[in-house]
Amino acid sequence: MDGLITDSGRPTEQGEPAAGDSAASTLSGSDLVLQYSSSGDPIIGGESVAAEPGAVTALVGPNGSGKSTLLKGLANRLAPEDGSVLLGDDEVQSMETKALARKLGLLSQESTSPSSITVEDLVYHGRYPHRGFFESISDADHEAVERAIELADCGLLREREVGSLSGGQKQLAWIAMVLAQETDVLLLDEPTTFLDLHHHLTVLEIVERLREESDSTVVVVLHDIEQAARLADHVIVLGDGEIRDRGDPADVVTESLLEEVFRIDADVELTERGPRIDPLCARNDDADSDHDDETSRRNDGMEAE
Amino acid sequence: MSKKESSVGTKRTVASLVSETRFGWLFDPTLATVVFGSLAIVFAGGLIQVSFGAYSMTFTEAWAAIFNPNVVFNPQAWDAFILGEAMPEMSTNSLIVWNIRLPRVFVAALVGMNLGVSGAIFQAVTRNELASPFILGVSSGSGLLILLTLVVFGSLTAFLPLIAAFGGAGAFLIVYVIAWKNGTSPVRLVLAGVIVGTVFGSLQTALFFFADDIGVVQSAIAWTTGSLTGTDWEQVRLILPWSFLVVLLSIAGSRQMNVLLLGEQTAKSLGMSIEKVRFALSGVAVLAAAASIAVAGIVGFVGLIVPHMVRNLVGSDSKKLIIGCLFVGPALMVAADVGARLALSPTQIPVGIVTGLLGGPYFLYLMRKQENMGKI
Repeated sequence: MDGLITDSGRPTEQGEPAAGDSAASTLSGSDLVLQYSSSGDPIIGGESVAAEPGAVTALVGPNGSGKSTLLKGLANRLAPEDGSVLLGDDEVQSMETKALARKLGLLSQESTSPSSITVEDLVYHGRYPHRGFFESISDADHEAVERAIELADCGLLREREVGSLSGGQKQLAWIAMVLAQETDVLLLDEPTTFLDLHHHLTVLEIVERLREESDSTVVVVLHDIEQAARLADHVIVLGDGEIRDRGDPADVVTESLLEEVFRIDADVELTERGPRIDPLCARNDDADSDHDDETSRRNDGMEAE
Repeated sequence: MSKKESSVGTKRTVASLVSETRFGWLFDPTLATVVFGSLAIVFAGGLIQVSFGAYSMTFTEAWAAIFNPNVVFNPQAWDAFILGEAMPEMSTNSLIVWNIRLPRVFVAALVGMNLGVSGAIFQAVTRNELASPFILGVSSGSGLLILLTLVVFGSLTAFLPLIAAFGGAGAFLIVYVIAWKNGTSPVRLVLAGVIVGTVFGSLQTALFFFADDIGVVQSAIAWTTGSLTGTDWEQVRLILPWSFLVVLLSIAGSRQMNVLLLGEQTAKSLGMSIEKVRFALSGVAVLAAAASIAVAGIVGFVGLIVPHMVRNLVGSDSKKLIIGCLFVGPALMVAADVGARLALSPTQIPVGIVTGLLGGPYFLYLMRKQENMGKI
């Protein structure tokens, strides 16, 4: 531990790039307290999470449970009030921004770009952290971009302008851009939301390919718990800013968890492709009388908005 | 299978195209058309400017005077132009063309260049197509200092160009400080610019009441609307070095501008120190605006419409945009100055009035034609 210097921001001996690149990197947050303004209540109140190196970790939970906030905390997008996030042996907050971007990629929920940019140019922007101010495109950049385009399955789109693409095609282009960053750790914030089934499955296949073909550590926020259970090696369930359960999907996704955290009645059936969830109805836990039932339902509606 | 093969096939050609030269992107037919079209306008405008005026000559006479080998190949003459040394003897035609009329064309071109680039950078930084060099308080700051100098500190009039430029830069810093709250955002920057502009604008108007002589007021108006009347080689010498710097820095910064256009979230994910980049780019844009203010006062609309026109023609890639602005800016400015100098001859009007008269209708046309204007 004496080799670890946290406050100076210098890489420690173990954190040299050569060592970090070869092995799968670990990303872990400990005792994280996350909130958007210093006066308000914390959204995540002192939780510890670790992404399994070289595996896919899914963050699931109902709306407003703090999944995206937790992901922002892990990506150094939101400074924790308390606790720390370690990437390998470095604290992400003290890392130089480009050095961090070479090791950790983040795909945000909504991304905007000028509509006249071509997909290929967009993917080349993924090489930004690898290029110096005056450096031109290198062979390594070419190779990374080609790999990313192939992996994200958008070879046919490369000459198209981003503005002319469908939502699903756009998402593939953005994923290619993040892949071109060639990071050890990849954080994806709801990458499948609003996509049609075809692109939905394409995105999931890309994540699977990433796990199989490289040592990438992937953390993905997913809306659909069934899908998360099928895709991930490790599931972390959030509810009201607390981690309610974590572990192997088959162990975590149970009827009682769905009842407690997601407030639904459902049948869970274990199949060879993972747990299959058959949602039956929404629960209103505090429904003692008809009157209460109505108010709570109205509150639920407001929360959803 | 076939899908894979085709992607492998295109791979090589595209990769070789991009890698062939660092400047491969320059050979874009639209960009080339824009550049040569603009050059043609600058030459035509320049030729009109040197031919007509109180002392008129024919185009051939003017042409002969411009390419008078005694001037063009005379190092002494260039020493006089660029370094400000004593002017060698030359014919009357050449003297009028080279000493009075051409420098004004050069100043117009350089001012247009600086304003165009400045606007392009500000539009990228604020991610707003309606941003202009003067949106972040620059014009109000320099306007206020111009009036203060003319009305209160009359003895400092000789330093007016520098004072005006400093006023613009100072106001920009104030805007940045106001907008800063754990970082800035495009919207907060624009709002802070409006706040500073309003306050400084009121102070400017107040100062007009203390001006006791109509000459001072006219001079103040010339500065605050932008005028090229009476510019000569001294102004060229003043703006030229800064223009070089601005061109270099803006082309070097164009990749940063492109990444900024991907949005704050993405730029941060890619490891950009977004605040540093935004401040540095704004600094370059303010430098460009200040340099143009120092020689021509506050010429409106050029910095707003030039990047607009270029973006419509060559697309939003910042490198092409900057290159386009380097040529379209001068074209617009030289053409507008033809109007300013010759339309109501012998009276000359401030060129800022002409750019405003041209810019307004163009903007109206854009507003009618384009569905969603504003966001890049």
